[in-house]
Formats: sequence, structure tokens, C-alpha cells
Amino acid sequence: MRVYEVFLKPDGKEEFRHAGSIEAATDELALVLARENYARRAEGTHMWLVNRENICVSEEGFIDSNLDKPHRHNDGERVARWRKLQRNKKNNE
Amino acid sequence: MNDSVLTPPVKEYLLAFADDEHLMGQQHTEWIGVAPFLEEDMAFASIGQDELGHALMLYTLILECPSGIDTYVFNRKSEEWRSCQLVESTHRRWEEALIRHWCYDMAEDLRWELFSDSSLPELISISERALKEETYHRRHAEALVENLLMVPDSKLRLMNALEVVVPQVLGLFSPIPGEEEAISCGVVSGKYSDLLPIWRTRLEERFGVLDSGLFIQADNENRTQRHSDFDYLFGRIREVFLLDPKAVW
Repeated sequence: MRVYEVFLKPDGKEEFRHAGSIEAATDELALVLARENYARRAEGTHMWLVNRENICVSEEGFIDSNLDKPHRHNDGERVARWRKLQRNKKNNE
Repeated sequence: MNDSVLTPPVKEYLLAFADDEHLMGQQHTEWIGVAPFLEEDMAFASIGQDELGHALMLYTLILECPSGIDTYVFNRKSEEWRSCQLVESTHRRWEEALIRHWCYDMAEDLRWELFSDSSLPELISISERALKEETYHRRHAEALVENLLMVPDSKLRLMNALEVVVPQVLGLFSPIPGEEEAISCGVVSGKYSDLLPIWRTRLEERFGVLDSGLFIQADNENRTQRHSDFDYLFGRIREVFLLDPKAVW
């Protein structure tokens, strides 16, 4: 048996989103079962199934190091404050 | 608009299809929670709900009064049903339920296609919608059967199930009350029983040539006679309704 991750794309410009997973013996069985389990109520217009074995998974801690780098975090607040100040100055002139 | 075509015999003819779809849907949904694995339990019940949807469309057309459908379906006497024994019988073995699903859905698209040029425009659109769903029902049945046939024990079970189910399928194809009238006024393009050879070809291409004894049509063909399991099934259908028949849903 294989485990597949199920992705559904709602209508329009929405992106594919993870909907869940399904266990099946073949690609075709996975497709027909995923259709009834995840898409029977018009949850999407397109469906992707990805065999879990084909997903590259990063090891534990691989992306944790970003947590303690505050200099990389910018919420844009200071720039916004400065631009607002400039705008007000210009309006007052 | 349809008064001229929707005569009592034509309604009885369409009722046979509606009742088959209704009971087939009910039978499939009975597997919710007890099918062999979770994914299939959901899928099988979902397919059953599609069949219930087809039945609803046909009942709506026949009754011309959507609000009266529940009362009509839940209060009808058993002799007024026109379902075939294939969909009335209880199959508690999973392999028999699966083989019935395969057999029924390999026969259902042939039945809908008879309406593709119907003199009733509603039937054309109902059949188009049903045929879209049936494509996936057949793929589901095929995918399961194809894989199970590769496992010796499973194959044995499926082949044994065929011996039980195939004779019942003949009843599905047996003459339908009102069929001649429906053909003569253009509601349907031909006799369903004429399509039995196509179904048999599909069957034997999938499972190999079967014992010809399975294809001997019984004399006392059903549709006016209920299978002995019908009362149990009808009881299940009415279980909630009978708690309070006057309730507004």
C-alpha cells in the first residue's frame, strides 16, 4: 500500500491546498477513492495526488535556525512611519 | 407540457428505474462504517448517494410534485414498488456487495443512454448528468475488482460472488412494465433487455467466460414481486421516518 497526499484547487485563482491523505494500492485506486473522500461536495476543480515517497522532506531542525535571526525580520513598521511623516510634511507645505 | 407523454404506463416504466436507483443507493450506503477499509467505506457510501440523487431526479419527474416525494416513497405499499430483486436482496458479504456494484454500474450507463434522444427533454438532461457520475462509478468498481483479481483468495471470493449475483442481474434486464408504451411515444429509444448481450460481453471480458447456466432467465420474472429481503430493507429506509411520520423536515 502507498500513502498519497491529496491537494485540491478551489475554483478561480486559488492555489492548490493540502486536503489530507489517502492510502491505496495503485494510482488509479488512489484517484477514485480520493475523489469520493475529498471532492464529493465540489470542494475543488482540480486534484493532485502525490505519492508520499516522492516528497523531499527536510530533516528535523533544518529550518529552525531562522527563529533567532531578528535582523531578518522586518514588519515594515519603521518604513511606513517614515513615509507617512514625509507625506504629511509634503501636504503641509 | 409533458401531460401527453407522461401517461400512467410511462410513469410506471420510469418508476422501475427510480426504484432501482433508490434501493441500490440505500444498499451501498448501508456499508458506511463497516466496509473493509476506511477509504472504501466513505467512497462506497458516496457512490450510493449519487444513486439516491438519480432516484430523486426520476421521482421528481414522475410525481411532478417535489414536496410529495417523501410521503410517496415512505408510505408506498410493497406491491407498488417496481424495483428488481438484484437491488432488493441483502448481501452481507463484501465481495457480493462489490460484485453487485460492478454488475449494476456496468449496466446502468446502458440504461441511461437509452434516454439520450428522449421525447422528454427533462430525461435528456437527467441522463446527461447521471452519465457523468457513472463514469467514475465504473472506474471505482473496475479499479477495485482489477486489483483483487490478482490475489488468489480474493479472486476465488469474487468468482463465487458472481454465481450469486449474475442470475439476479438477469432480473434487472427483464421486461419492464410500461416499456412498450414508453418506446412508442419516444420517451426511450429501445428495450433494455436488448442490451443484455453488451453487458454480458463486458462481464466476460473482465472475469472470463462464465458457466452458461448462470444466464438462464427465470420464468417468474419479478418487478411486481418483492424479494424476501425487501421488508427488512424497507424497514431500514423508514426507520427514522416512522419515529414521527408527521414531522416536517
